[in-house]
Amino acid sequence: MTPSKGHNKELAERAYRVRRNAVRMGEVQGQGYIAQALDIADVLATAYFHAMRYRPEDPNWEGRDRFLLSNGHYAIALYAALIEAGIIPEEELETYGSDESRLPMSGMASYTPGMEMSGGSLGVGMSIAVGMAMGLKRKKSDSRVYILFSDGELDEGSVWEAMMSAAHHKLDNIIAVVDVNNQQADGPSTQVMAFEPLGQKLEAFGWFVQRIDGNDLDAVVDAFDAAKDHKAPKPRIIVADTLMGKGVPFLEAREKNHFIRVDAHEWQLALAALDEGRLA
Amino acid sequence: MSLLDDPKRLGEHVADFRARHPKKPMRQEFGAIMLALAERRPDVFAVTADLMYATGLVEFGARFPDRLVNVGIAEQNMIGVAAGLGGAGKLPVVCGYAAFIALRAVEQVKVDCAYNETKVILAGLSSGLTYGVGGPTHQTYEDLATLRAMPNTIVIVPNDTVQAALAMDAAVEHPGNTPIYLRLGRGPEHVLTKPGDPFRIGRANRLCDGDDVCLVANGALTFEAYLAADILRGEGIAAEVLDMHTVKPIDREAILDAAGRVDAMVVAEEHSRSGGLGAAVLEVLEDGHDFPVARIGLEDEYPPIGPMPDLRHALGLSGEAIARRARLLLDRKRSRRGR
Ligand SMILES: Cc1ncc(C[n+]2csc(CCOP(=O)(O)OP(=O)(O)O)c2C)c(N)n1
Ligand SMILES: [Mg+2]
Repeated sequence: MTPSKGHNKELAERAYRVRRNAVRMGEVQGQGYIAQALDIADVLATAYFHAMRYRPEDPNWEGRDRFLLSNGHYAIALYAALIEAGIIPEEELETYGSDESRLPMSGMASYTPGMEMSGGSLGVGMSIAVGMAMGLKRKKSDSRVYILFSDGELDEGSVWEAMMSAAHHKLDNIIAVVDVNNQQADGPSTQVMAFEPLGQKLEAFGWFVQRIDGNDLDAVVDAFDAAKDHKAPKPRIIVADTLMGKGVPFLEAREKNHFIRVDAHEWQLALAALDEGRLA
Repeated sequence: MSLLDDPKRLGEHVADFRARHPKKPMRQEFGAIMLALAERRPDVFAVTADLMYATGLVEFGARFPDRLVNVGIAEQNMIGVAAGLGGAGKLPVVCGYAAFIALRAVEQVKVDCAYNETKVILAGLSSGLTYGVGGPTHQTYEDLATLRAMPNTIVIVPNDTVQAALAMDAAVEHPGNTPIYLRLGRGPEHVLTKPGDPFRIGRANRLCDGDDVCLVANGALTFEAYLAADILRGEGIAAEVLDMHTVKPIDREAILDAAGRVDAMVVAEEHSRSGGLGAAVLEVLEDGHDFPVARIGLEDEYPPIGPMPDLRHALGLSGEAIARRARLLLDRKRSRRGR
């Protein structure tokens, strides 16, 4: 049973707008990690407009939940959410990836409000999450650490080192999401380096694990709720199976969509496809 | 007015000089180098960490699937696996990005390869500022420092795609049990080298003769030094250009020979001014020299994120900047002497 079925109209609108922002930024450069932004938009919409606590006008507010982007190349997706959240002004999306912009290709804490770490080198965010979660607990803060990482990052040993320490230190204030879009630079992730059965591995590492369709908004909402409500003193992880290019059928159908170039006229087609999905 | 002081004429001169030297992209050429090597040497393995496409290995993988080891995004594992292949009598060529070989996995390079006396060829692409838009995680200006400081390493910075092929051949033939690092670029760069040109590890190539100033460079900045020598010629300054493709072991003889003749030396590299080629040259000259040495490289601050040509220009890694620096050193030195 999915308790929240059908109650997420507003979130669906948010997810639509996150996708739209990402596509508009993609158009500025003519290329980018667009397919990932589309696949993770439902998760980001749920994180920013359902689960997390923050103040858009004060991104450094001490009481905020932290959001770590470990897979820094997903920055375009997070910028899209930060714009929708009012942390970055919408006009700035026109500057995406250009020289004086606060929105570089990889997410950098030094450049962008709302960015909690500097990414671009894969497999490092989980360790930072562990330290941050530990520090917040020591400060008696009830803020949570949310961390997004990608299935390709599962290849890095450092991710597993950090996951072991998160469980060892009972860091129940970590809510991780791993985007299993089954894609990395050299092809389908499960073929480059087999990682299944992922849920069992993570459970064996001492985590509270939920595996969901990351593009089923109701399921995403329920998973975030369950992660927050869970009682066991364990770090929580949501394994989100997603579809690259979600919401834009001609991008969903593309192979080798890790880094895509899109022809000039196709951006409008992509926006139109999103509009169509929104009405449906 | 002299060429260097006439922006319009200088601009035209430089554009014309560049146009006469076509460019070739490293990624594609590197793929071809690996393919030719695999055909010739059945013991060669390519080891990569989810950068098969990025290092041009697609055809290699199709033709020699059993000799392409892709460990996923796991660079420390990659170096260790390569060291193991080396220990089993194979010739592993690690194909990756400079940053992830020389920084992420630097301990594995030291202990598993260098200390353990295991021959592994490390091909680090996208080095320096060549992947400028990748930002600080992909820009690599510390690799010469880390890899030069550990004993039992060879560090080579080919100046173009043709020299990269010559360096790869030399690395393959090299008899020592040592990791050999080839620092490589990414996109199109000017080509100076011709296929039959000499290449010996540890032996600099003299590209221009001159007794006024010696310009020492490697990698893409060799072309810039070559361009600088051309500009300086118009100023009546004769510049020697040393292509110091091997940073370790460095060619002491070539440096000391130039030191005996010239009035100034300018070293240029796409690396931090600490620990790279400039530092290596100064180490050779540490017993004393009576001429100024300028090191052109990256200052002690993180470069911006942006496309490589913009970064090189903004950070003064250009033929024009090298020429200006050389003229300045000579002017100062000669005016002092005249006094
Ligand atoms: C440590 C490190 N190694 C290699 C890279 C190069 N790289 C950038 S993205 C990428 C693939 C990442 O996998 P994933 O995030 O699952 O890919 P996606 O789903 O975005 O296609 C690689 C290998 C990197 N950024 N950092
Ligand atoms: Mg992926």
